[in-house]
Amino acid sequence: MSTGADAGPRFRMVNVQPGYVIIEKERFSGAARSYFSAEPTPPKEEYVEGRQVWSYAGMAQSFQFDVRDSDTGRVTPFRELLGLLYYGCCREDSDIHRLGALAHELDISVYVAITYEAPGGSRLNISAEKIGILNRLFNERLRSPGKKILILPDLFDLYKEISHGQIAIDFGLTSMEQETPAGA
Amino acid sequence: MRLKELGEKLELKGVTQVFERDVTGVYISDMVSDVIANAKAGDLLVTVQLHSNVIAAANLVDICGIVATQGKLPTDDVVRMAEKAKITIFSTDLNRWQMATKLYEAGVR
Repeated sequence: MSTGADAGPRFRMVNVQPGYVIIEKERFSGAARSYFSAEPTPPKEEYVEGRQVWSYAGMAQSFQFDVRDSDTGRVTPFRELLGLLYYGCCREDSDIHRLGALAHELDISVYVAITYEAPGGSRLNISAEKIGILNRLFNERLRSPGKKILILPDLFDLYKEISHGQIAIDFGLTSMEQETPAGA
Repeated sequence: MRLKELGEKLELKGVTQVFERDVTGVYISDMVSDVIANAKAGDLLVTVQLHSNVIAAANLVDICGIVATQGKLPTDDVVRMAEKAKITIFSTDLNRWQMATKLYEAGVR
């Protein structure tokens, strides 16, 4: 159990698993989706799922992790988390950017937790408890006086606007920016 | 050591405003996920990557500043984002290894 100011952070990132975010596209509908692969070589084989044919479309290096609570010893996995989207990477006319800009005035940096898709096409849910753990994890690491991180669930349906192509270009957990609309 | 002092000592080119921070360590990486998993608050990030996600990761981890090696320069929007997040970006023509050596010689451990 941690005690006192010298005990270090209560929440720590553990079981860090490097891997790849694999982006794939469905041949007929053009739908795109992504998933995490911890295989040493990223899978690129085309495969059939019902009437759909999914093909490899790109990848980015990434990682998955668990968070250990040193007070309870409990380890919480974050397999559903695709990445954290920084408000500053979103379009300036978006709600998240407006909210983030307001929070920034109070030295609060806003990120949105984006999750992977469930096999049926819906988004995987991330619980409020897990969002709370992520907030504790990253805030406990900060040293700048007064600085705070606020990680929100995807209340803005931002995942719909994320360009999978961006994930392939950039790298890592925060490898997401809002797609710029055509003609913008 | 203070960031401004370190920048002057190593003759780093300031790409952004130099924000007052203590440099408490160094992390060298070109992968955002690696930075998020392993860098520590107060570290100086030495990297060749200078896109917006690097700023997002540096801000998340509370990196004190970034040294862009091999003469890399960020775009204007990345400079704006870094300054808003109070993250200093320096640039140097040295490569990462040469930069690491200089930082060690300057007493940053």
